[in-house]
Amino acid sequence: MPEAADIDRLRAEFEAALAGAATEPTLREVRDRYLARKGGVIAALMKAVSGAAPADRPVLGKLANQFKHDVEEAIEARRASLESGRPAADSVDVTLPGRQAPLGHLHPLTLVRQQIESIFSRMGYEILEGPEVEDDYHNFEALNMPPEHPARDMQDTFFLANPVPQTGLGTPGTRTSTRPAPPDRPATLLRTHTSAMQIRYMEAHEPPVRIVAIGKVFRRDNPDLTHTPMFHQFEGLLVDDGVTFADLKGTLTAFVREIFAPDTKVMFRPSFFPYTEPSAEMFIGCVFCAGAGCPVCKRTGWLEILGSGMVHPSVLEAVGYDAERYSGFAFGTGIERVAMLKYGVDDIRLFYENDLRFLEQFSF
Amino acid sequence: MKLLVSWLRDFVDLRQPVAEVASTLSMCGFEVAGIEADEVIDFEITANRPDCLSVAGLAREAATAFDVPLRLPWADPAGHSVTSGARAVPTPSRIDGERISVSIEAPDLCPRYAAALAEVTIGPSPDWLAARLTAAGVRPINNVVDVTNYVLLEIGHPLHAFDLERLDGRRLCARRARPGERIRTLDGEARALDPEMLVIADGSSAQAVAGVMGGAASEVWSGTRVIALESAYFKPASVRRTSKRLGLKSEASTRFERGTDINVPVVALERACSLLERIGAGRPVGAPIDVYPAPRGPVDLTLRRERIDWLLGVGVDDGEVARILTGLGFAVTGVPGGWRVSVPTRRVDVLREADLIEEVARHFGYDKVPSHFPPLRAVAPRPDPRMARKALVRHVLAAAGFSEAVSWTFIDAADAAPFAGPGEAPVPLAYPLSEKFAVLRPSLLPGLVDGVAHNRRHQIRDVRLFEVGASFSAAEGERHRVAFALTGAGVMEHWGGGMRPADFFDAVGVVERLGEALALPLRFADSTASCLVPGRAAAVSVGETTVGAVGLLVPAESERRGLPGGDEIFVAELDLDAIDRLAPIADTEVRALPRFPSIVRDISVVIDERLRSQQVRETIQRVAPATLVGMREFDRYKGQGIPEGRYSLSLRLTFRASDRTLTDADVQEAMERIMAALATEHGAIQR
Repeated sequence: MPEAADIDRLRAEFEAALAGAATEPTLREVRDRYLARKGGVIAALMKAVSGAAPADRPVLGKLANQFKHDVEEAIEARRASLESGRPAADSVDVTLPGRQAPLGHLHPLTLVRQQIESIFSRMGYEILEGPEVEDDYHNFEALNMPPEHPARDMQDTFFLANPVPQTGLGTPGTRTSTRPAPPDRPATLLRTHTSAMQIRYMEAHEPPVRIVAIGKVFRRDNPDLTHTPMFHQFEGLLVDDGVTFADLKGTLTAFVREIFAPDTKVMFRPSFFPYTEPSAEMFIGCVFCAGAGCPVCKRTGWLEILGSGMVHPSVLEAVGYDAERYSGFAFGTGIERVAMLKYGVDDIRLFYENDLRFLEQFSF
Repeated sequence: MKLLVSWLRDFVDLRQPVAEVASTLSMCGFEVAGIEADEVIDFEITANRPDCLSVAGLAREAATAFDVPLRLPWADPAGHSVTSGARAVPTPSRIDGERISVSIEAPDLCPRYAAALAEVTIGPSPDWLAARLTAAGVRPINNVVDVTNYVLLEIGHPLHAFDLERLDGRRLCARRARPGERIRTLDGEARALDPEMLVIADGSSAQAVAGVMGGAASEVWSGTRVIALESAYFKPASVRRTSKRLGLKSEASTRFERGTDINVPVVALERACSLLERIGAGRPVGAPIDVYPAPRGPVDLTLRRERIDWLLGVGVDDGEVARILTGLGFAVTGVPGGWRVSVPTRRVDVLREADLIEEVARHFGYDKVPSHFPPLRAVAPRPDPRMARKALVRHVLAAAGFSEAVSWTFIDAADAAPFAGPGEAPVPLAYPLSEKFAVLRPSLLPGLVDGVAHNRRHQIRDVRLFEVGASFSAAEGERHRVAFALTGAGVMEHWGGGMRPADFFDAVGVVERLGEALALPLRFADSTASCLVPGRAAAVSVGETTVGAVGLLVPAESERRGLPGGDEIFVAELDLDAIDRLAPIADTEVRALPRFPSIVRDISVVIDERLRSQQVRETIQRVAPATLVGMREFDRYKGQGIPEGRYSLSLRLTFRASDRTLTDADVQEAMERIMAALATEHGAIQR
């Protein structure tokens, strides 16, 4: 005859069985074992209770009924929980990689260029491109480099075997100058700097002038770690009333602190460019060693970053500006140079190999 | 310029260590390339400062920078009254039995020619002299040549010693080379001269290429007894031209072509003669001969006080201005509002007021100029819309899986040829660096094909590259284009399958996407472009204007560029300049969203295989009512059930009216009209 202790034992057995029923089939097994009308554990218990001594029956009956109720409830609760957490019939390995449309990457020179353009746009500069093939006048003469000028050696030039028509000009803004437009000259060389574009702009515009010319330039250098016969340059020009060397320092300091780091140290040192007077080279604290001295900065702690200076009065005069009234500053550097320092690229030729393993390291 | 600091200390009383001398001069504009053995500073002298290609020039800078006196063992020629031409007699002069006659036939190239004679005994230089030369990077040769080099390094003025007895007629004449004249220079090379070049000739032939290199025939040798020392001023442009044309550079030509001091030649001769005596190498014979027909003195400039502040943004104390300029050898006189500044002839770079302000700024210190942000007085002009369009093109292609390439503007002529327009040759460079960089690219595609080949060589199978840039032709000059190349997977490999190789329509899809982004209604038609495989090549046009092409690169070309034979490279190129002219960039004008439902009908027709789907679409478009708002091919089938030479094309047509709900009857009528037109115009049979 059953006793209360037997029911407790059955309850313990049931709880263990239920705990092991983690799937619907096993849960069904447990349910059948306990709740089947024929041969189920509960049915057997009820039968046994009905055969118990009449004195025990009310207590045992109450315990058995409670047990039956608990079993039903627990199985139902487990069933509901299994159902809600049931994997779909076509369940997947969620750790497998997803299906991706291919994503391309912008060239690091484009990324740096976009940043430069954005910084100077915010400072009120107009961004210009301009022709890659130029005439001698705009590339040299108007920039204070007459024929036979030794500075022409500084940027040894690629000449075209035959002149080609100048079609790369486009429309750099509306002409504001009332002076006659200079005659079109056929292009005879690959521009050695983007300064040529500054001349073209000043020929068509009266001050104030705030422009950044950006694009490919060409010099006769055999490719090595730091040189290529083609590279990219940007050059800025500001001409207005009362522009000073102090303005140049402030502008360029703001630029390098934005494109590198806000605490970038700067230094300006006298230099020589035929189209600026005074001329200055700008250095930044070495981005690799933070000024401690390393092979990249030749242990000086400084890296040369920009050439700059106050626009030479002869250049202003060549475009018909009054050099007594107006002054200005100009600056420029290689985009590759900035990119090499920013991204830690140690071989300039990587920019032209178009190796996807290189390009894919850059963002979109 | 290698500067031996102990040599510098001959002229300036500097106690500062070598490193400090280097860093101080570097902040004055003399870049330090290196310091050797704590005694030699290697300076990079900028092209405007030939006067500092000398110990004396750098001593003057150091004296000013450290504010100490400069002591030169010769009189400063700038302070001299200019020698008159009186002594400059181009007639023979007899001195101690030796004579030399000097004349200038080309005063436009050689405004001054001075010479001195000296009796010499050729031998080695004393150790101190040889050591100084060696430290400065000059190899000692013999006492006479060494003295000329010593003076070159010290004063910066090149001298040349001829063996007098080897000069025909004992005469020196600065004249243009005769047509066909030749000379064997000191380096042993025989060189052809032309009448644009200045030579120093004796009675019969050229004995030196003026300012560039002496001739072997009159070279000083161990048996030389009397030398004629040349100290001249040659026009920079002439020396530069000659040096370039001969491909011959020397210490002398470097200085002459940048500009030497026209008033220093006699000083340099006297310095050389005194050195010869001092080292016991010889003694001067008589006084120097000086032919200087049009003497030049210092140039006076005015420096206005207010212009210093005006240009630099900081005022400089009057006393400091005068100290700096005087220290650098300018004669300074106070005048109302500023100074009158007399510029010594050695300062070929100082031509106007701004140059003087730079001199002040260099020694005042760029670091003492404040930093300031210039006021913005006007709104920046609108940006050039073409640049925005290029940026858009870049982003569309990157989003389509293409990485951006930058390739060479100049390429191999053989690589360029297949991509030049019909009947056009690429634009050649006059003197290319190499065959690889010989012509300007007529298209961006050769560079992209190289990029693909590079990646394929590095085991990258799926390559998608694009480039935006300029291309060139002789007739049209510079044109801006966008191009892309695609090879490998069309749908990327994935564990779930679906991978397939790229095909023509992947490339077309990208071009269509560009057209969509640029708001251009692109049309495609069969192309015969020579670089593309016929039948897998389409010309791309907008209206009547061809703007580019898309297709499969001819295998011969990809194989020639080192790609595996089986690789299919799909390429496309669009002319952005042509597109710029076609489509002014306009703001989007939004269409109202449809308010009524649409009705979709599929149509399948069997048509001739030569008929292009473009024509089918155009026919449908022409006859359909305005309620046809969408049309898209969704199946193309050829094979069982379709007669030979024909194919089945299925299109899905969407109809919708903007003002009412269309009825089946409306659409049915339209469909019948469309089918009838297809049947009569193209012999289409409904399937």
